[in-house]
Amino acid sequence: MGIQYLHNPFHSVLSMCITITRQTLAIIYLQALSFIYTDVIPLVYLDTFAVGGGVPVEDQPDVSAVLSAYKQQGDPALYEEYYSGLKHFIECALDCHRAELSQLFYPLFVHMYLELVYNQHENEAKSFFEKFHGDQECYYQDDLRVLSSLTKKEHMKGNETMLDFRTSKFVLRISRDSYQLLKRHLQEKQNNQIWNIVQEHLYIDIFDGMPRSKQQIDAMVGSLAGEAKREANKAKVFFGLLKEPEIEVPLDDEDEEGENEEGKPKKKKPKRESMGSKSKKQDPNAPPQTRIPLPELKDSDKLDKIMNMKEATKRVRLGPECLPSICFYTFLNAYQGLTAVDVTDDSSMIVGGFADSTVRVWSVTPKKLRSVKSAADLSLIDKESDDVLERIMDEKTASELKILYGHSGPVYGTSFSPDRNYLLSCSEDGTVRLWSLQTFTCLVGYKGHNYPVWDTQFSPYGYYFVSGGHDRVARLWATDHYQPLRIFAGHLADVTCTRFHPNSNYIATGSADRTVRLWDVLNGNCVRIFTGHKGPIHSLAFSPNGRFLATGATDGRVLLWDIGHGLMVGELKGHTDTVYALRFSRDGEILASGSMDNTVRLWDAVKVFEDLETDDFTTATGHINLPENSQDLLLGTYMTKSTPVIHLHFTRRNLLLASGAYSPQ
Amino acid sequence: MEQSKMASPKSAPKDAQVMAQILKDMGITEYEPRVINQMLEFAYRYVTTILEDAKIYSSHAKKSSVDADDVRLAIQCRTDQSFTSPPPRDFLLDIARQKNQTPLPLIKPYSGPRLPPDRYCLTAPNYRLKSLQKKVSSSAGRITVPRLSVGAVSSRPSTPTLGTPSAQTVAVSTKVGTPVSLTGQRFTVQIPSSQTTVKSATPTTPTVQNVLINPSLIGSKNILITTNMISQNAASEANPLKRKHEDDDDYDNL
Repeated sequence: MGIQYLHNPFHSVLSMCITITRQTLAIIYLQALSFIYTDVIPLVYLDTFAVGGGVPVEDQPDVSAVLSAYKQQGDPALYEEYYSGLKHFIECALDCHRAELSQLFYPLFVHMYLELVYNQHENEAKSFFEKFHGDQECYYQDDLRVLSSLTKKEHMKGNETMLDFRTSKFVLRISRDSYQLLKRHLQEKQNNQIWNIVQEHLYIDIFDGMPRSKQQIDAMVGSLAGEAKREANKAKVFFGLLKEPEIEVPLDDEDEEGENEEGKPKKKKPKRESMGSKSKKQDPNAPPQTRIPLPELKDSDKLDKIMNMKEATKRVRLGPECLPSICFYTFLNAYQGLTAVDVTDDSSMIVGGFADSTVRVWSVTPKKLRSVKSAADLSLIDKESDDVLERIMDEKTASELKILYGHSGPVYGTSFSPDRNYLLSCSEDGTVRLWSLQTFTCLVGYKGHNYPVWDTQFSPYGYYFVSGGHDRVARLWATDHYQPLRIFAGHLADVTCTRFHPNSNYIATGSADRTVRLWDVLNGNCVRIFTGHKGPIHSLAFSPNGRFLATGATDGRVLLWDIGHGLMVGELKGHTDTVYALRFSRDGEILASGSMDNTVRLWDAVKVFEDLETDDFTTATGHINLPENSQDLLLGTYMTKSTPVIHLHFTRRNLLLASGAYSPQ
Repeated sequence: MEQSKMASPKSAPKDAQVMAQILKDMGITEYEPRVINQMLEFAYRYVTTILEDAKIYSSHAKKSSVDADDVRLAIQCRTDQSFTSPPPRDFLLDIARQKNQTPLPLIKPYSGPRLPPDRYCLTAPNYRLKSLQKKVSSSAGRITVPRLSVGAVSSRPSTPTLGTPSAQTVAVSTKVGTPVSLTGQRFTVQIPSSQTTVKSATPTTPTVQNVLINPSLIGSKNILITTNMISQNAASEANPLKRKHEDDDDYDNL
């Protein structure tokens, strides 16, 4: 659970172990640090950690305040009896209630175990763990493994995720009937201890209605903090898109469609713009244009948009009958060092972030990468000529590949700016670097996370970017501020994936605590919490219309969420390994997913979203019965030879570009 | 990766077997064989460091032998120093609340490349040129272009040298009268705070120019020119920099 990162002196060990799946890679270091098997080092650690009658270790004030949440609750030797009693009661309960009440097992088990450990009843803790850890659900196995090595109070101190787990209340959603049943049982005198524990560490969100089935519950649970309270998902979210600005398109090409400036008579016959809404009414779900300050549109941006529109007319309409062609960019000889990939919006450049801390930029069009000439040469050129912008580029050093050096650790995330002038890269060294793609040099290093930064992304309008890292927060930056503008804190474990909403007003973060949160850029509030994944989330994708979010995690499932209502609307099963890449096609008809199991799968997004039943009950309680229709939605599975897919990109004409590093086994 | 290439589990030393067992208990089944070596190395190094520290503390307290308290203290000090953990949650929530209260700053239009103040950027040259003893006939336009930050190796070829291939580093001075501007419309001249302004450049002052151009702007050609003017006293600087003659040549040959 979570990724424990330990600083120097073993960066090299960390980089070596990148071959291990990321989620487990540094758990072993936690153990190596705080828990050495007694065979290896007999005397030192046994004596050191023997607490019995030793000198009490000074706790830092905040840690002790947190840990003091675990006051002694009854006789430690009886914990096993309390738990067994509860287990017996739940197993004897009615079928309809049993599934819901079984949710109690895991949080109670963990809290009781941690309480025993904190109060230094090591033997009781060990036997308690031995007896009951096998009863827990299979998807909690990773957590239990980490828990099994936490046997002493000192072990708890360094583990931030554990501390967060203890101080936050585990949320359970139980129907009123089941809750009444439970309450009646626990308020009997002999069960007082458990009742105290329940009240202290669990938050029971009661809803009126039918108790949920095991299948429904299994779909939604799995995160480190239980499920999400209904109130957490009630805030209004402006998921609509911002209005496209009006651009005057020179109508010099035949068959060209362009957006007209309203009210102005044109010389040629005005052509209707087919994409983008022409209505003057504000979309009620769209944020006001000025909700967050956005950079103004420069002339080059306008030209870019015109190019975009031209390409959009030649776009292939995808659907179940018309699947996209897939072009795969394989990185050879990467020796398992490829850690991040990004492609520009117009698909002209690819960047790869590597474990050797380099960032390499390739041009995938015949046009080579050129950097600006040196100042000496620049003063020689004729500044008044028409093609001055070509003249300032240095032809002598044009090449297909440019390597950028600067980071001092593996580069875990890369992102092009929408105007293709800048490149961001984030790394294990805790910095996010801004590179210029005109001079191919580093401009700024943004320091804020002091721990590995796992992902970064530019806003769709440029200027802002978001980064998320091991310190469990995501930060919003602007390129001209050396400190973050917003800090999104709330996750219990590392933030592994960060994405902007198409309207740049919201940021989605996926974390190793198995939740996905949606944050408001304006005030930093968490407006949505989505639970349901059983492993750390590694990919996020917003649909082009801004209404839906797709998430992929190490459990191989792709979950689809309705942002407006805050509900899970789809579950796509099929992948057998971590889903590292997700992308919607340009018009949102197809969802492509790429995974460590060396496949790219295409799913029918239109079909998933069209059968949505959102009646009042569903909206009120958040319970949806998801049909098992993954097979119907799967449009195609495309296998690579031995190349995990880590990035997907739809070109403007709906050609799918996939990339990964060839890793022969 | 095949484990048969390394010592088979039966004949591996006991410590290596323990490490393999740790990995197995943590559920890690796929790992390169050298991971065990690295883990062992870490374990030995860590324990040695702790014990050495404990010995120091124990001798400081004038004890005859190292006891558990010394070791405990050594561990605690090392933990605070090397194995820091991220801030606790309430602290993060607190600073997040503070940070999120300030409204988002408005974006100034037409401000060229939006970068933080120069102090926080990596765009300043990280070296200085020393001036020549003898006056150099400056070839107009031939100015050195500094490499940018230490880590960023520009893929440009060797920049125009300073006009003379002599071993002495030559600082070419070029007076920058008016900043280069294409349309003459908009330009930004940024000068590091400690230096003189552009206008007061003297012919003997070596200048170094850094030009960043945003060519994708059409219509309004913005050029960012960072001028670093270094006024040097040849006498005072020559001595400490004399020994760097040979090194400076290396820049040109990169």
